[in-house]
Amino acid sequence: MQGITAQTTMDRLRATVTSNWFYLALLALLIITPHAIGWFSGEGPFGTQVGRRFMVIGESVTWQGRLSQIFIFAILAMSYNLIFGFTGVISFGHALFFGIGGYMLGAMLRIDDFDSGLAMLLGVIGGLIIAGIASFIIGLVSLRLKGVYFAVFTLAVAEAVFIYFTRYGPTGAEDGFTFSEMPEVLEPTRNPLNFYYLSLAGAVLTFLFIRRLMYSPTGAIMLAIRENEDRAKSIGYNTLRYKIFSITIGGMIASFSGMLHVILNSKRVGPEMMGVNFTVEPLLMTIIGGIGTFLGPVIGAAGLRISETLLRDLIITIGDNEINIGDSWEVILGVLFILVVIIFPFGVVGTWTRWRASKQTQRMTEVINNSQIATSGD
Amino acid sequence: MTEERRMTLLIVAGLTAGLLGFSFITTGDLGDFAITVMSGLFQGMLLFLVASGLSIVFGLMDILNLAQGAFFMLGAYVGYEIHHAPGLMDAIPDANIRFVLSLIGAGAVGAVIGWMLERVMLRPLYVRPLFQLVLTFGVALVMLEGIKLVWGVRPRNWADTFSVLESSFTLFGQRFTLYRPFVILVGVALIFSIALLLNRTRIGIIIRAGVEDAEMVEALGINVRAVFTLVFTLGSAVAALGGGVAAPFLGASLELGNAFLLAAIAVVVLGGLGSYEGTAIASVLVGLSVAVVAKFTTQYINQPVWASITPMIVLVLILLIRPSGLFGKER
Repeated sequence: MQGITAQTTMDRLRATVTSNWFYLALLALLIITPHAIGWFSGEGPFGTQVGRRFMVIGESVTWQGRLSQIFIFAILAMSYNLIFGFTGVISFGHALFFGIGGYMLGAMLRIDDFDSGLAMLLGVIGGLIIAGIASFIIGLVSLRLKGVYFAVFTLAVAEAVFIYFTRYGPTGAEDGFTFSEMPEVLEPTRNPLNFYYLSLAGAVLTFLFIRRLMYSPTGAIMLAIRENEDRAKSIGYNTLRYKIFSITIGGMIASFSGMLHVILNSKRVGPEMMGVNFTVEPLLMTIIGGIGTFLGPVIGAAGLRISETLLRDLIITIGDNEINIGDSWEVILGVLFILVVIIFPFGVVGTWTRWRASKQTQRMTEVINNSQIATSGD
Repeated sequence: MTEERRMTLLIVAGLTAGLLGFSFITTGDLGDFAITVMSGLFQGMLLFLVASGLSIVFGLMDILNLAQGAFFMLGAYVGYEIHHAPGLMDAIPDANIRFVLSLIGAGAVGAVIGWMLERVMLRPLYVRPLFQLVLTFGVALVMLEGIKLVWGVRPRNWADTFSVLESSFTLFGQRFTLYRPFVILVGVALIFSIALLLNRTRIGIIIRAGVEDAEMVEALGINVRAVFTLVFTLGSAVAALGGGVAAPFLGASLELGNAFLLAAIAVVVLGGLGSYEGTAIASVLVGLSVAVVAKFTTQYINQPVWASITPMIVLVLILLIRPSGLFGKER
């Protein structure tokens, strides 16, 4: 008996590995990336010896920061995709939850004479709870509204809070505030590698959680709501409840990414976190990567962030004119927006899946045709 | 008149009366009260100039045109540029005529760009309405950057004066410039001319029928696509014209687009998507409430932030009572 159980466990493991080899390879690659870059550049993943002092700088450290940023945006985009791509609800107020996480963590860590570890724990838990409550209430009162009405309602709420915080004195109004205390182990300026693995772990957990959720019965109902809400309702599901569930979970995940963002972003909390930009970015990432796909938002986040870092310092010389691409980054973003919408409406992953599916159909048709020829030839 | 419509009108009347009464009691001075009402109507009309295009376009084509704010901004820049062009200043010394010219120019530029946008980019996307939303957002970004490229980041403040802006009159012991009543007049004229267009012309009948059921209109042999193009062009032109009208007061800056877009969307949704009169009424309502709240908060609690939030709060509250806006139909 023991042997059979072990056998099936081994089989299951093997099945999991073979069916998820791509994700596992990607994860392994991301785990060794900082070390690999450190090894190639000869500076090590922790920093460089400059004269007598050991400083946390170098190629690897720079890339750890950039990749952490990507993971954070990937978490945000995945949470948006859960609401927008998997449940079919367009929210324009997603930045609100992102901001709530940041403000909550910042407010806790800002308190003087308070153990920073405990403060961080309280901030994370408090931020998640408050974001959960806020999104639950917003969902409860507004998810009865349909389509554009809901989108505009969420936009109005987020914008009102955003404007309020740009003038709210205790949190530093438009300038926001900074905090200095935080557990040293996770501080991105001192231990970038730890923070890198933290944000990677956050992204991986979010990915796994959303995938698990979408393969559960609840996820199936959410997909049904996206496809046709009236039908889901007429079958007997309380669609409102599932939509509220979706936006609550999405809001909590977004607040988590907001916390990571605050820590990485020089430990500064500002009202722009609740501005429209932080709703639009995940929206764009989701659409570029592929709406309603698991890996799409991640690819969108990576693509957008990397192209931004690479293009920021690029200067093109046409004739006598020097054009700094970084200055006109927004134009590129806008053009990208337009092009993707017109040419790749299903995003990178969506287009890829469709292309593969069409290839497969073609192959199968060929097989069927061949067998028919074979049988008729007999 | 249905029961629901009567109820809605009652709500609107009650809110307006409440706002005015509240303002009258709290300001306690007839001159201040007149300023508040005037400023409310003025802001309402500015909002309407952006929102009217949004409203008709959404009603007919189901597109929430997020580039509408950018058209408003573009209109302000073009209007400023025409009014202050050195060559034109010598040729036509009369500032009033130049102002009218600048309005025409702003409207024309808006119309041309709106027409191109509809023909080139929106046409292929009618089957995917969600993507139109995303597309117009991209267009808004590109237009903003384009304006930044042409005019730079420095905001333009109206330097030249002209008589409509300058001359003033006295009411209840307070001085008013003629510019505000002028803008209110433009807004009212626009409300009535668009209402005439919608209710008394053949194009208007087609547009209203299209709002009800575009497919059916097409089935009757009418080229609905051409009407779509016309309406979108008109909406963009009106927004740009609005920018030109507002430029002497607001100047031309890069923040103009987003500042008005959000409030305009709030107004359109508040009035009820697809309802033109709803948009007009909601504009006035929001304008008045912003002015009243601004007056009250600066006078008593010294927190002007509440005035900027007011449109959002009004929107949220009304949507909770009326999930489809004031005059919107259940969809």
